Amino acid sequence: MKSVRPGLPEFDYIRAETIEQVSELLKNGKPSRLLMGGTDVFVQMRDGAFSPAILVDVKHLPGMQSIQKTGNKGLRIGAAVDLNTLAGHPEVVKSFPLLAEAAQSVASYQLRSRATMGGNLCNASPAADTAPAALVLEAILVAQGSNGERRIPAHDFFTGPGQNALQDGEILTSIEIPPPPKGPVGRYLKLGRNAEGDLAIVGVAVLGYADKTSESGFRFRMALSSVAPTPIRVPTAEDILESRTIGDETISAAAQAARKTAKPIDDVRASAGYRSAMVEVHARRALHAVWTALGREA
Amino acid sequence: MATHKISLTVNGVLEQAEVPSNMVLLTLLRERLGLTGAKNGCAAGECGACTVIMDGEPVNSCLVLAVEADGSEIVTVEGLSSESGLDPLQEAMIEVSGTQCGFCTPGVLISARAFLDRTPSPSEDEIKEALRGNLCRCTGYVRIVESVKIAAKGG
Amino acid sequence: MTEKVGPKSFPSPIGESVPRIDALPKVTGEAKFTDDIQFGADLLYGRIVRSPHPHARIKRLDVSKALALPGVKAVVTGEDCKDRFGLYLKDRYTFCKERVRYVGDPVAGVVATSENLAEEASRLVEVEYEVLEPVLDPVAGVQKDSPLLHPQLKDYTVASFIYPKHGTNISNHFKLRKGDVEKAWSECSVIVEREYRVPHVQHTPIEPHITVAKQDRSGQITLWASSQSPFAQRDLIAASLGMSPRDVRVISPFVGGGFGSKAGVSMEALAVIMAQKVPGHPVKVRLTREEEFYCAFVRQGLVAKIKVGADAHGKLVAMKTEYYWDAGAYTEYGVNITRAAGYSCTGPYDVPNVWTDSYCVYTNHPVGGPMRGFGMPEIHWGIEQTMDQLAEELGMDKLEFRLKNCLREGSITATGSAIHPIGVAECAAKAAEAIDWGEKESSSAPHKLRGKGLAIMWKAPAMPPNAGSSALIRFNEDATVSVGIGGQELGQGAHTIAAQIAAASLGVPMDWIRISGPIDTQYSPYEWQTVASRITWSMGNAIIDAAKDARRQIFDLVAQQWEETPADLDIRDGQVISYKSERSEPLENLVVYGLPKEDDSGWRGGPIIGRGSFMPDYVSALDPETGQGPRAVVHFTAGCQAVDLEVDTETGKIELLRVVSAFDVGKAINPDQVRAQMEGGVVQGASTTLLEQLRLDEGFPINASFTDYRIASTMDMPGENISIIVEVPQDDGPWGARGIGEHSMVPTAPAIANALADAAGLRILDLPLSAERVFNALREKEGMP
Repeated sequence: MKSVRPGLPEFDYIRAETIEQVSELLKNGKPSRLLMGGTDVFVQMRDGAFSPAILVDVKHLPGMQSIQKTGNKGLRIGAAVDLNTLAGHPEVVKSFPLLAEAAQSVASYQLRSRATMGGNLCNASPAADTAPAALVLEAILVAQGSNGERRIPAHDFFTGPGQNALQDGEILTSIEIPPPPKGPVGRYLKLGRNAEGDLAIVGVAVLGYADKTSESGFRFRMALSSVAPTPIRVPTAEDILESRTIGDETISAAAQAARKTAKPIDDVRASAGYRSAMVEVHARRALHAVWTALGREA
Repeated sequence: MATHKISLTVNGVLEQAEVPSNMVLLTLLRERLGLTGAKNGCAAGECGACTVIMDGEPVNSCLVLAVEADGSEIVTVEGLSSESGLDPLQEAMIEVSGTQCGFCTPGVLISARAFLDRTPSPSEDEIKEALRGNLCRCTGYVRIVESVKIAAKGG
Repeated sequence: MTEKVGPKSFPSPIGESVPRIDALPKVTGEAKFTDDIQFGADLLYGRIVRSPHPHARIKRLDVSKALALPGVKAVVTGEDCKDRFGLYLKDRYTFCKERVRYVGDPVAGVVATSENLAEEASRLVEVEYEVLEPVLDPVAGVQKDSPLLHPQLKDYTVASFIYPKHGTNISNHFKLRKGDVEKAWSECSVIVEREYRVPHVQHTPIEPHITVAKQDRSGQITLWASSQSPFAQRDLIAASLGMSPRDVRVISPFVGGGFGSKAGVSMEALAVIMAQKVPGHPVKVRLTREEEFYCAFVRQGLVAKIKVGADAHGKLVAMKTEYYWDAGAYTEYGVNITRAAGYSCTGPYDVPNVWTDSYCVYTNHPVGGPMRGFGMPEIHWGIEQTMDQLAEELGMDKLEFRLKNCLREGSITATGSAIHPIGVAECAAKAAEAIDWGEKESSSAPHKLRGKGLAIMWKAPAMPPNAGSSALIRFNEDATVSVGIGGQELGQGAHTIAAQIAAASLGVPMDWIRISGPIDTQYSPYEWQTVASRITWSMGNAIIDAAKDARRQIFDLVAQQWEETPADLDIRDGQVISYKSERSEPLENLVVYGLPKEDDSGWRGGPIIGRGSFMPDYVSALDPETGQGPRAVVHFTAGCQAVDLEVDTETGKIELLRVVSAFDVGKAINPDQVRAQMEGGVVQGASTTLLEQLRLDEGFPINASFTDYRIASTMDMPGENISIIVEVPQDDGPWGARGIGEHSMVPTAPAIANALADAAGLRILDLPLSAERVFNALREKEGMP
C-alpha cells in the first residue's frame, strides 16, 4: 500500500538560466529531476515515485516559453509553453486545431495554466493527451545536451510507460511541428469516466488531408493514447484509408485495424476489453468527423 | 535544504519571505502570510480549492512552489473585495446561495473571476468548462453557475 | 416610554427565501475552517502510522528510531489507549492493540515540529506483522468457517437496540416479521426476486478531516475539529479516556462538508491521544485526501436479496429481504445503519406481509459509517428497481403501480405502526408530471436511446429514541438576540434556518438575530449530533421552546408592570404589545435592564435568557424477534425523483437530460435552501450512481485519490435539475417542517436505473452504472460476447 506524503519531500530548487548550467547540474551526480510546470512531478513526489535531491527548473531557459513560426507555416513550441497558452495561440488555433483540442482536454483550466506540452510528452504516460497529436503532426522533439542538439521524431520518443528517448544530461527544449499538409482536418476524441478532465480511457487523434498521389485521394494519420505501453501511431489503419475508397465501410475497417493495433491493459479507469471496444468506436467517430469535414472542404 | 529569499505581490501588497525549496505557494499564503482563504483540499491539483490568480491566470497553488512565485502577482479570495465593496461574483453568490459549506467557494470565485476577465459574456457551457477544475460536493453546481451568469450580466 | 401599536406590518421570515447568514464570510474568505485557525509557535503536527494489511497481528512494534529523530516530540501506540470507544457498540481502540483490521488502521502516531518531519519519522516506525486471512465479502463473512475479526465481541458494550451475534462476524442482526410471508406467496400472481450489490463509496467532503487537540496542565482537553458531532465526540472520547465530558471541550468552526463522514468519532481521537503526550502543545492531525478515502468513514457496501410479490390487481402482498452489510473493520456506528435499513425495508409502500433480516457484518474493509441517506440510498437501489420490474411483469404503468401501493396517512408500516400524514403520492404525481411521464421523447442520435424512470423513497431520522436538542436565547442590551445552539452549519443552511425560526418564534426582525458560534461544547447548549436530517425539526423545536421561555419571562414582567395578564400580551416586530390595552413597549427598553417600578422604588425584571430543549418522548423499543412496536421512529420524509436520460449504446455512457425532485418537507422554512438541498443531492446521487466506487482489491484500496476516484464536476451536471416542494405538515415540526438534507440523494440511483431500463430494456443490479458496465450489459443483451 503506497503511502502518500502530506507535502513535498525535501529537495533543493535551482532555477537554471542556461543549458550549460543544466548539463553541469545533471552531471554532478546528485539525483536530479527537471521541473517545468510541476503538475505531474509534484504529485509523483508526494506519491514517493521518486525523490530527487535537486529539482532543476528549466522553464526559464531562453525560448522555453515561446511559440514561433518556422518557415512555411511550421511552429516551434517551447517545451515549457503551458497548455492554455498553447490552446489559445492564434497560430495553433489556425493551423493545428487538433493540438489545441488535445491540450484543452487535459484536466482543468487552472491545471493547464501550469502544465506544459514538454512535460506532458516527457512524462511519457501512455495516457498523455498531447502525444497522439504530436504523433500525427509528426512533431520533432528537440533535445539539448552537452553534445549539442538532437532532433528526435515523435514516433521514436516514447520508449515505454514513463520512459522516453532522452539521454542522461539531455533536456527537451522545444517541439517542432512541421508545416501541415495542405487542407488538413484533425480531431482528438477522448473518453474519460466523467464528462471532461479525466485521464483518458482511450484517446484517438486523426489527421486527414486530400492527396492526389494516394489511391483513395486522401491520406490519414491516426494515433492512440492509453491503449498501449506508449502512445502509438496506427499504420495499418492509415494504409487502409489510403488504399480504399473512403466511406463507411473503409472507415469501419480502419477502426477495426486500430482496435487490433491497440494492446490495452486493465487499470482503475477501465478494463482492457472495454478499451479495445472503445478504440474502435472512437477511431470510427474521429474518422467520420474528419472525413465529414474534409468532404465539406472539398 | 536550500532556502530562497523571494518577494511577491499578494493582493496588491509587496511581501517578502524566506522559503524552503519544498514549500508550495498555498502553504506560504496560508501559514506564513495568514491568508487562509485558499484551501488545501487534495494537494494534487484535482479539487481546485487552492486556486489563486498568479500573474493574471488561475493556478492550483498546491502545485506551485513558493520559490516559483518569486516576482509574481498573486490574487487570493481576500483580494477580490475592496473598500468600495464586493466583487459582483461575491454579490451574486450571496444572492442565489452559490455557497453552501463554503470550502470550495474561494477557489470557485477565483476561477470565475479570472474566467470573466477573459470571457466577459460567457455562455452557460463556457462557464461550466471554466469551472470544471473546482469540485463542489454540496451545491450540485446549479447555483454556482447561476452566480457566474448573474455576475456576467451585471458586470 | 410607551406607544400604541403602529400599523407597521411585520413579515414573518418563515417560508421566505432569506439569504444565507453565512454567505458573506464564505464568499470573502473570512470564514474560518479548522485548518485556518492559527496556533502560533507551540503548534505540533501528528502523522499516523497505518496498517498496510487488511488483517494482521502486530508481532513487533519499535518506535525508537522515530523517537530519536530530532524534532520528534512523542510517539504513541495502542498502549496509550485506555478503553474502546464507539457510538452504539464500543468495538474500537483509537490506536490498535495487537491486531489490525483494515488497510489504514492506526498503529502509531508521531508528533513532531512539522508535518513533514512527522511524516518522515512515521516512516521510521518499525512494525512486524503476522498476516491473517481477511474477510472480504459480507456473505462469506457470515459463514461458520469465516475468520473472526472480533473474537471479543461478547465483551463489547452495546446499545439496547443492537443485537450482536457472539462468535460470528455479525455485529447486529435486525429481524422484522410482520404477517405470514411464506403463506402470502401463494396469494401472489407475480413475484420478482433479485440480488443487488452496492459498493463502497466515499463522502469526499472537499475539506478533509482535521483535528487539533491540546491538553492543558489541568488535564482539560480541547479539540478544534471539523465536526458534525462536537457533543458526541466529547462524550465518546471522554469515555474512552476515563474522563468526564466536562473536561473535554470541542470547538468546531465552519465545516467544509460532512455528508455523515464527520459524525461520531472517526479520526479525532487520534489527535487527543497524541496531545496527551505533549501537554500545552496543540497537535494538528489532518488527513491527506488519499487518507480521506479509506481512513475516515466510507459508505458501507451492501448485498441485498429482495423478493416481492403482488396480487393480480397489482396490490403488494409480501416482501422478503436479506441485507448483508459490508460494514468494515469496526461497526460502532454502522450497526445502526443495519437497523435503519431493517425497519425501512419496504420503502414507502404498504406491504401486509414482511420478513427481513438485516445483518451488519465485520469485514477487513475500511470502516463503514454514516453517509447521506444512512442506508436508504443503498436499500432503495434494490427496492425501487424491484418495484419497477414487478410493475413490468404486471403490465402496469410504473407510476400507477406506485400510486396504488404507496403509503398514505394511516397505512401500517413494516414495524406495525400507522403512518402520519405523508405526501408520497403527491410527490410521485408531481415529479411524473414535471418530467412529462408517459410521453416518449426522441433521442438526439441514432446510436442513443432515451428513456424515463422514477423512484420514490422514504427515510426517517435514525437515532437513539432520546436524541435531544437544546437552545439558548439571550437578549443583548439593544434587544438584538444571540441564539445559542449546538447544531452545526455544514453547508445545509442550518444556522440560517435557526435564525429564521428564532426571529419568528420570538417576534423580532430577522436581522436582530445572530447565531453564537463557533459551536463550542463549553458554551453552546447540547445537541446530540448534526445528522439524520433532524436539525431543522429537532433543534428548531428547541429554539421555539427557548423563545417561549423568553417570551414568558417578558410577559410576566410586562404584565406586572402594566397590571395586565400575560395572555393578553404578544411580541411583534420587536415590541411587546397588549391586545387588551393596545399599549406597546420596545423590547430594548426591558430585556436586559428590566423596567422601573412606577413609584421609583426600584426596578423589576432583569436580563432575559430563554432556555429550551426538545427530545421526542414517544419513540418505542421494537420487539427483538419481530421488529414490531408502537412507534419505531419520529417521522419519515418522503419524496420522488424522475429522470429523463439518454444512453450512448456504443460507449455505455449515460447522459442525464432532466432530473426532477419532489419532496414532502412538511413546511419549507426557507424554500431556496430546500431547493439547494434537492439540487445538490441530485448531483451527489448521480455521481455515486454513474461514477463512484471505492475499489478494494483484496482489501487494498486502489483508487484513493481524486485522480483515480472521479466525482461529478460542472461538466457532469444534469441538463436540467428541477425541484418541487411538497408540504404535508408534520404535527410536531416547527411550522410543520421535517428534514430534507439526506433524502435528495436516496432515490437518484434507482430512478436512473429505471430510466435506463426504459431506454435500453435492460436491468443492471450492481452499482455503479459506469459506462463500461452499461456497455457490457448492452452487449450481453444483444447476445454479443
